[in-house]
Amino acid sequence: MKISTKWLNEFVDISDISIEELANKLTFAGVEVESIEKSAYGTNLVIGKIIECVPHPDSDHLHVLKVDEGKDGIHQIVCGAPNARVGLKVIVAKEGAVLPQVTIKPSVIRGVESDGMCCSLLELGVDKKFLSEKQISGIEELDESAPIGENDVLGYLGLDDTILDISILPNRSDLYAMKNVAKEVGALLSRPVKEKEFIAKAGLKDEFKIEAHTPKCPFIGIRIAKGVKIAPSPLWLQSILTRSGIRSINNVVDIGNYVMLLTGQPMNMYDLGKMDDYSLDVVDDYEGEFVAMDGNKYDLQKGDLLIVNKGKPMCLAGIMTSEYCAINEESKDIAVEAAIFSGASLRHTSARLGLSSDSSTRFTKGIDPNVNEYALEMASYLLEELCGASTGKTYYSGANKKERKTISSSLSYINGRLGTEFSLDEVVDVLTKDHLEIKTLNEDEFIATIPTYRIDMEGEADLSEEVIRLLGYTRINSKLPTTALSLNGRNEEQTKIFSIRSFLRNVGINEALTYSLISKEMNERFLILPHGEAYKLINPLTEDRQYYRRSLIPSLLDVTKYNLDHQAEDFSFFEISSVSSLSSETKKYLGLVLSGNERIEGNMKKRPYDFYSLKGIFEGIASILSLNEGRYRLESINDKEELHPGRSAGVYIGKNLVGYFGELHPTYLKKNGLSGNVLVMELDLSLLLSMKVSQTKASVPSKYPSVKRDLAFVLNKDITYGEVKREVSRIDRTIKKVDIFDLYEGEHVAFSKKSMAISLTLLDEEKTLNDASVNQIIEKVISTLRIKFGAEIRS
Amino acid sequence: MEKNPLEALEAIKKESAIAIASIKDRLSLNEVRNRFLSKKSELSAIMGMMKDIPNEMKASFGKSVNELRKYIETKVKEKEDEFALKELNEKLEKEKIDITLPGRSYERGKINPYYAIVDEISEIFLSLGFEVVEGDDITDDKFNFELLNIPEDHPARDMQDTFYISQNILLRTQTSGAQAHKMIDNSSKNELKPIKMICPGKCYRRDDDDATHSHQFGQIEGLVVDKGISLADLKGTLELFVKRLFGEKREIRLRSSYFPFTEPSVEVDVSCSHCGGKGCSMCKGTGYIEILGAGEVNPKVLEMCGYDPKIYSGFAFGVGIDRLAILKYGIDDIRRIYTNDVRFLKDFEGK
Repeated sequence: MKISTKWLNEFVDISDISIEELANKLTFAGVEVESIEKSAYGTNLVIGKIIECVPHPDSDHLHVLKVDEGKDGIHQIVCGAPNARVGLKVIVAKEGAVLPQVTIKPSVIRGVESDGMCCSLLELGVDKKFLSEKQISGIEELDESAPIGENDVLGYLGLDDTILDISILPNRSDLYAMKNVAKEVGALLSRPVKEKEFIAKAGLKDEFKIEAHTPKCPFIGIRIAKGVKIAPSPLWLQSILTRSGIRSINNVVDIGNYVMLLTGQPMNMYDLGKMDDYSLDVVDDYEGEFVAMDGNKYDLQKGDLLIVNKGKPMCLAGIMTSEYCAINEESKDIAVEAAIFSGASLRHTSARLGLSSDSSTRFTKGIDPNVNEYALEMASYLLEELCGASTGKTYYSGANKKERKTISSSLSYINGRLGTEFSLDEVVDVLTKDHLEIKTLNEDEFIATIPTYRIDMEGEADLSEEVIRLLGYTRINSKLPTTALSLNGRNEEQTKIFSIRSFLRNVGINEALTYSLISKEMNERFLILPHGEAYKLINPLTEDRQYYRRSLIPSLLDVTKYNLDHQAEDFSFFEISSVSSLSSETKKYLGLVLSGNERIEGNMKKRPYDFYSLKGIFEGIASILSLNEGRYRLESINDKEELHPGRSAGVYIGKNLVGYFGELHPTYLKKNGLSGNVLVMELDLSLLLSMKVSQTKASVPSKYPSVKRDLAFVLNKDITYGEVKREVSRIDRTIKKVDIFDLYEGEHVAFSKKSMAISLTLLDEEKTLNDASVNQIIEKVISTLRIKFGAEIRS
Repeated sequence: MEKNPLEALEAIKKESAIAIASIKDRLSLNEVRNRFLSKKSELSAIMGMMKDIPNEMKASFGKSVNELRKYIETKVKEKEDEFALKELNEKLEKEKIDITLPGRSYERGKINPYYAIVDEISEIFLSLGFEVVEGDDITDDKFNFELLNIPEDHPARDMQDTFYISQNILLRTQTSGAQAHKMIDNSSKNELKPIKMICPGKCYRRDDDDATHSHQFGQIEGLVVDKGISLADLKGTLELFVKRLFGEKREIRLRSSYFPFTEPSVEVDVSCSHCGGKGCSMCKGTGYIEILGAGEVNPKVLEMCGYDPKIYSGFAFGVGIDRLAILKYGIDDIRRIYTNDVRFLKDFEGK
């Protein structure tokens, strides 16, 4: 909202404080000033009159002018404007004048001396959007009454102004009215605020029938104005509108906008000549087409508030008049409307039709319910004064006066809420300056009566806000809350996740953050863990971000591709984030990608990431989760298009698949524009964290010595170490540990065979194992290996 | 010819001095040792001559012999040490390695700046005895709007642009909903305990992604509810927080603002760490940078969530994680946070 400080000064005296200081005060009180701008700029200007205008001897479009600048004498100016002519009063920028774009110097233009420049408003920095085509293409044509020789040209034009662009918070809709801005400034500066009085003659006797047929229009008032003479507005009115960011149209339309700017009450004007009779009805059950004054057609539905004359749509209430009865150059008799419409209803209609206006903005934010009579009176007065109209009295439907709210509060409440030590006098004083009426009941309690334009104020808390925003937040002395101790901090789950994140980073994996919303295509991949139907947005911004993800891997592969495409090699990422689907609650997953090599000594010694890198990482995580090897099992995964069938495993706890890891399928890798060595892991952390784990218990080291024996044997390639380990472990209770320490395939063993070496740790908790019993057990192991696996013992 | 023992001793002294001086290597060293210090050496033999020494001179002769032996021993030892040191130095010289070669790669993974901020802020509030709750990205109208005093037709909804999954289910647009969850959790169990919590999490708004906007962003909501919690408590807590996060010299200032769920509401600015408050391009010449929104919990919110506003009050604040990361680390484009370029991440070390 653009606030003309010059206009503001008519209501509250701000002539002695700097604009910057005013802006600062407003900003800290919650009325943020976003910019401070001059409405026009130029030094060394004077009003002149063209007394001679002849073509330039050496140009087909330039003129050589003689301009009478009053006491400054007559000067010759070369001018290119097509509208330069004898008798025209113009703005002259004299020698040395500084304009937004240029500094004026005496010059010779194609052999003719030129001493100054005739200006357009554009050249003085007035925004193009407030100027007509004519004003933009030529020099400004001043009124015949403009005083020749006047040096305060900007003052004469009303452009000696500084504009504050304020950002209005959603609760302060009252500030869409200049008179309320003035009150805010008055409260902040402790200064009186003038209210302008308008009394229209209102002598017309014509009757008007107005009726609202819906509670969404609690009030509507109409005044008739007859015999209006449509003309350009006087300079002061044009200038106020321009400086407030509204383009001047004609005197009638400008009056409507002026009243709205000043009071916050949107005004609507109807051309009575287009109406069948002097009646209007407010309805919300119309269905059909509506042609607005912007020339566009809109389809109206039941619920849209509409103002009709004998059933014909005249105005989309509070949003836009119809093309049919809008004021135009021929309008003579008009009706002026000031109403209250439901903001919610207008908001829906406005959003659905994609149509809004200055007036709908004010209605949807909320307006002062009691300002309409004042606004109608002001509009009528101005129509009489500026358009030569005769006006009538107000005809209305609904109740046009609302009681002022009262709020009971107390000093102790205010100070308690703010943590301040204000005195009652201080609080009463500041609220009174804020235009509230305060009645104190005793040393503590008081009743505040709220002006009707402050529709945001509903309770005691609002009073505390008024006090502190006007007295300043610097008045609060900081302290720290003193609350009872409670057992907070990280819970067990958070602690474990924190440990897992640290662990993964400590083994060299980067922690990533990716978007939760992904494309349909991405959302169909890596659906390996149990999942339901995906959450799909009904109003996505782009197709790329339409689904809430069910797996983290597609996003992490995107990151992988990005980095590979940017010449990175040997990197890894993990992310812990939520996944969710319709049939399952939101879960926390851990996704992980390894790409390229594990660096052992920088680039001098590297080793490609492989399945066992993932397995080791998984075991590290499992140990943080206190899940020992016996709690989970790995099963080969060989039926997923995304994963290498021979180098992937699913992690099971009981029947539940809780995670998977493995190498990407080479076909999948290629298809997705990836290259090199890429491996992935995904774990359902929520499920893993929910596993019951037994309490830590210390074990007593045996007092008897353990015995270690190594065995090497050759067996078929397809027998896994896991199978060997499982079999061997259960041969005897004294076998405490089975550990593989060598595995060999190659020229020294047959093609279909491999050589495996394991070490056994034997221990009897009750006695020292002697050689004989150890040998007996080893014999048993050897025979089991032979019988079960056809193993051939090498040592 | 039988020598006079004293003369013999003198002779050995002279010879040994010459021999010691001529030691060149371990070989000559051993020769000297054998010649002068072994059992068969002249020096040992000379002790056998003791009987020829007049009694009154025996003591001083014995002493002289021993002194000479000690002297030779010391000298031999010195030479031996000298050789050992030389040999050691030669060995060490050979063992010299190129210390500029890469070390064993115990490289730590880096942390996305988003999580660096979350961890740092969580740590601050955990130290103050807060709990960390997480909430869910997917929520409903009630928790994202209604319970935060943003009813359906409230103008504040103009400020929100929400991703909907259905009429009622949506992606949260702020973490403030965590306030309502926490209070309702307590009140529904009839446990109106004091609350001190933060909720870091992802939020979503229908913003086109560019350098300063992101459809996904992070927020940390904070809430303290107890009897007698005032704006002064909020100011004190935030001062502590800001000084820990941005440095002891940082100051905060409060500006009046509006959020439906707090009353009074404030914007909190922190003095610019770049220029120290003098005004620079980073703070657009104001000396301060806006970092978060806060306020006293609106009594309506307390009421809706089962905490009687006549008894309880509280403060709440919400801070943008991405914004803090951008300010603290000078990140030029919010999209970098979500791109995870390893060249970008390399600068961020997790705790």
